[in-house]
Amino acid sequence: MAKFIVRRIILLVLTMVLVSMAVFLITEASPGNVARNVLGAFVTPEQEASFLAQMGLDKPVWQRYLHWFIGSDWQARNKVGMPLRRIVTEKDFVEWWALRDDDKLVRWKLAGDDLIVMVRNPDGTVVREKDNDRWVTDDRGVSTFWGLDNENHAVMWEKGSDRKVWTFIMGSGWKESSGGPVEYIPLKKGFIRGDPGVSLRTGRPVSKSIFVRLRNSLVLAGIAFVIVMPLALFLGLLAGLKEGSLRDRALSVGGMTFSVIPEFATGIFLILIVAVWWDLVPGATVFGEKAPWERLDMLILPVLTLTLIELGYVLRITRASMVEVMRSPYIRTAYLKGLPYWRIVFKHAIRNALMAPITVIMLHVNWLMGGIVIVEVVFGYPGLGKYLLDSALNKDINALEAGAMILVIVAVGTQLVADIIYTFLNPRIRYN
Amino acid sequence: MKEKTRIHPTIYDLKSALANGKLSRREFLRYATLLGMSAAAASQMIGLTWPQKLWAATPKRGGVLKISQQVQKIDHPARYSWLMPSNTMRMVFEYMTLTDRDNITHPYLCEKWSASDDLKTWTFNVRKGIKFNNGDTFTADDCIFTITEWLNKDVKSSLLGLVGSYLEPTGIEKVNDYQFKLNLKRPEIAIPEHFFQYTAQVVNHRTFEGDMKKKPHGTGPYLLDTYNEGEIAIVKARKDYWQKGGDGKPLPYMDEIRFIDMGGELAPQIAALKSGEIDLIDASDNPGPQVMMAVKKDAHINVMPVATATTRVMRMRVDMKPWSDNNVRMALKLCQNREKILALAYQGEGLEGQDFHVYPKHPEYCEMPVPAYAPDKAKALLAKAGYPKGIDVNLAVGSEWTDIVRYAEVLKQDALPAGIRINIQTMPTSQYWEKWTEVDLGVTPWTHRPLGTMVPNLAYIADDQGKPVPWNESRWVDKEFTTLLDEASGTLDVDKRRKIFCKLQKIQSERGSIGIAYWMNTWMCANKRLKNVDSHPNLIFLFNEAWLEG
Repeated sequence: MAKFIVRRIILLVLTMVLVSMAVFLITEASPGNVARNVLGAFVTPEQEASFLAQMGLDKPVWQRYLHWFIGSDWQARNKVGMPLRRIVTEKDFVEWWALRDDDKLVRWKLAGDDLIVMVRNPDGTVVREKDNDRWVTDDRGVSTFWGLDNENHAVMWEKGSDRKVWTFIMGSGWKESSGGPVEYIPLKKGFIRGDPGVSLRTGRPVSKSIFVRLRNSLVLAGIAFVIVMPLALFLGLLAGLKEGSLRDRALSVGGMTFSVIPEFATGIFLILIVAVWWDLVPGATVFGEKAPWERLDMLILPVLTLTLIELGYVLRITRASMVEVMRSPYIRTAYLKGLPYWRIVFKHAIRNALMAPITVIMLHVNWLMGGIVIVEVVFGYPGLGKYLLDSALNKDINALEAGAMILVIVAVGTQLVADIIYTFLNPRIRYN
Repeated sequence: MKEKTRIHPTIYDLKSALANGKLSRREFLRYATLLGMSAAAASQMIGLTWPQKLWAATPKRGGVLKISQQVQKIDHPARYSWLMPSNTMRMVFEYMTLTDRDNITHPYLCEKWSASDDLKTWTFNVRKGIKFNNGDTFTADDCIFTITEWLNKDVKSSLLGLVGSYLEPTGIEKVNDYQFKLNLKRPEIAIPEHFFQYTAQVVNHRTFEGDMKKKPHGTGPYLLDTYNEGEIAIVKARKDYWQKGGDGKPLPYMDEIRFIDMGGELAPQIAALKSGEIDLIDASDNPGPQVMMAVKKDAHINVMPVATATTRVMRMRVDMKPWSDNNVRMALKLCQNREKILALAYQGEGLEGQDFHVYPKHPEYCEMPVPAYAPDKAKALLAKAGYPKGIDVNLAVGSEWTDIVRYAEVLKQDALPAGIRINIQTMPTSQYWEKWTEVDLGVTPWTHRPLGTMVPNLAYIADDQGKPVPWNESRWVDKEFTTLLDEASGTLDVDKRRKIFCKLQKIQSERGSIGIAYWMNTWMCANKRLKNVDSHPNLIFLFNEAWLEG
C-alpha cells in the first residue's frame, strides 16, 4: 500500500510538471495580448511595451517558464551582485530588497542622471542618498547599473548611451531622450519554492487570492456534494432494486430531466422564479470580505442548481449498477439460500453496486472544483472556477498555472482516495 | 494677468454673444467657468440665480454604500487605464477641477484660475485650508508635483500625450505656496478640463512613491481601508474633510463605501442590484443599456439617463481599396438609415449622428441636417467609382458589442439595394482591439469627450512628420481640415469657433472617412435609497454629497 501511494505521489509530481508545461504552451499559443487585456485597447504602443517588459513578458518562453518554476532571484542576484531578500512589510506588502555589505537593505531609483539609493532602517523608514559610484562605465562611455527598483524588479538602468529611448508623445510625436531603465527581471521565488508569483491582471500575489477562491469553491462544492451524493446514491439504489417499477421510472426520468437542462438555464430559471418572482432568497452572491458560510441564504440557489444537475447523473449510474448487481447469479443464489431481503440488499448487493458510482463521484469532486465555473459565473460566486476563467481570458499565466496545479492535485488526490475506497468495497483489490 | 480677480476679457465678449442670442446660457456658463470665473459668479453676471441644490429631505448621516465593481490593479493614478479604479480612488484622492454632467468646469482643489489673453499663460490659485488625510497641508507643491509626474516619461501616463503636447516641465512655475503658473508652448483652452481627466488625481508630494495603495494620502472625503484586487475595496469616511455638508459638519454623509468584485458578468450584478444586495453597478467601463433595460420597471431603482458623445464609428481605411475612393465611402455612408439604426441597435436611446465626430451637445456643434437614407444615390456613386455591378466588402465587428452587431445587420440589409454586399465578420471584442487600427472596414467604439476639438485632434490628423497619429484608425488626413482644427483649438469665441466647426463638420461629412449613425445615452441605475447623485457622461462617481436613506 505504501509503495502504491509513493508511486502515486511521483505520478502526481510528473503530472504537475507536464500540465504546467502544457498550460504555458497553450497560453502562449492562444490569441490575445496581456497588455491590451489588462490596460485596455487604447493603450499606447509605448505603455504596452513597458508593461510587457516590466512583467518579464518580453523574455523567451523557456526563460519565463523557468522563472515561474524555480524563480528569478538567483539570476537577478548574479546581475546585482548582492544577496536579495524578500520581506513582507507590516502592511502586508511583499517587497524585495538587496542586502548591502553593511547588512542594510537597499533599493535604488533614478532621478535625472543621479542614482539614488534607498536604505531601509529596521523600523521601516527609508533614507535616500546619492549613489553614483555604482555606475559601471564601459569603453563606449555608456554607464549601466543593475539594481532593484520600488516595484520588485531587478532593473538595468543606463545613461549616456547613444542608444536613444524613444517616447511617443500624443499630439507632438516621438521624442528622444537617453537613459532610463532598459531591462527588467520581475523578482519571484518560483512555484517549487512556494511562490506562484503575482497575478498579471490584478497585481496581487496569486497565493493571496487563490486560497480564498479555493475555500469558496470548496464550501459551495462541499455543501452540494454532501447533499447530492447520499441522496443520489440512496435514490439510485432505491430505483435499481426493482427495475422497471413505477418508482424506478419516476426517479430515472425525473433525475434525467434536470440533468439534461444545462446549468446556466437551470440557474437563470431558478433566479427568475425563486429570487425575482417569489422574492424568497437572493439571486446573486455578494459576500464582500465575508466568508460564504456567513451568508448561507445566498448559497441556496447555487447549491440547488448544482444538486439538480448532479443528482440525475449519479442517480442513473447507481441505478444501472444496482440493476446489474441485482440480476447477477450470486444474488439469485442468496435468494435461493433463503436469506432475508434486507440482508441480500445490504450485505451483498450494495457493496458491489457502489463500485461504479464511487469512480464517478470521485471524478465529480474534480469536476465540482473547476467545473462549477458556469454556476459561479451565473451567480457571481467568487470561486476558483471563475478565477481561472478570468485568468484564462486575460492570459494571466501565473494565476492560471497556480489554479491548474491545484486542480491537478485535486484530480490525482481524489483518484487516490477512490482507489483506497475500492479496497474496502472489494477485498479482491490489492495494491502491491 | 496682474490683478488676480480680473475677469478675462473674453467673458465680456461671451456676454454680448449671449445678449445677441448667439450663445445659449449653458454655453456661456461653460466658457466663463473655463476661463476661471466661478459658476455662481458667471450665473449672476447673466442674471441667473445659480440653482441651489434642493433636497426633498434633510440629508442623513451614516450608512454603508455597496457598489459592484471590478477591483483592479492600481499603482500610480496617472497610469489608470480604466475608469473603474479612478472611481474607487476618487473617494480618497481629488482633482484640481471638476467638470460636471453638463460639461461645465468648476473649481475644486484649485479655487480660481485665469488665462492670459493669448491663452499661453495660466495662473491657478490653490485652495487654502485643505489637509491630506495624513495631516500634511495641501499646497501648490502638490499640484506641481502631480503635474510633473504626468510629464515624467518614466511614469508612462496617458496624460503625457495630452498635457505634454503643450506643457514642458520647465513651463511650470511656482508663484507662492498657493499659486502656480503654467507657461504653455501653444495656446490651449481645455486645461481645466484636462485637470479633471480621470488620471489627474492629485497626490501628496511628500509621501507619494509611485504606489497609491501603500501610502493612500489624498485630500478626499474617505480613507482607503482595504484594497484587495479582484475581491473588495473599502473606503471609510474621514472626520476632517474640507468640504462641509448642509448641516455645517464636514462631509461625507456616508460612513463607508464598499466596492465588491463580482466579476465582469452583468447578470449576477443585476440580480444583486434588484435584490438590494448592492446599491449600484459601476458601469463606467462598460456603459450600455443592459442594466437600464433590466431594472427600468423596478420600483426601488432610480434610472438616471444622460446624453453622451459616446458613439460607434464606422471607419474606412482611406489608404486601402476600395475606401481610397471617396465615392465609395460616400455610398456606404448614404446607406445608413439612421433613425432605424438607432431604434434597432440602441432602442432609440440616443441622438442621430451625421458622419462627423461632433455631437449636438458639444458647445461648438454647428447645426446641420441629418443625412437621409439614399440607396439610389449610393448606387450612382458606386457606378461613378467603377463598380456598376456593386461591390463585396467585409465589415469587422466585435461580437460582445451587441448594438454594433445589430447596427451592422441593419446596414447590411439597407446597403443591399445600393449594391454594397456586406459580409459581417464578427470576432471576440478582444480580438477586434488587437486589430482595430488595421482592418479596412470596421466599427470602433469611441468614448465621450466633453469638447468638440478633442476627438478630431486624436483621430483625424497627422503628426509632425505627416504620418497619421496612432489612433487615426482610418488614416484620413485632410490639409484644410487640419488647419481649421488648429484654428478652432485656439479660438475661444464660441460664435467664431462654431463658424469654423461648420466648415469642419462639412468637410468631414463630405469627404471624411467615417460614418456615425448614432450617439449613445448612458444611465446610472442606483437603489433609490442612494440620494443626491446624478449620472455623469463618463459614469464617474461624484458622491461627496451623496447620502443614504433608511
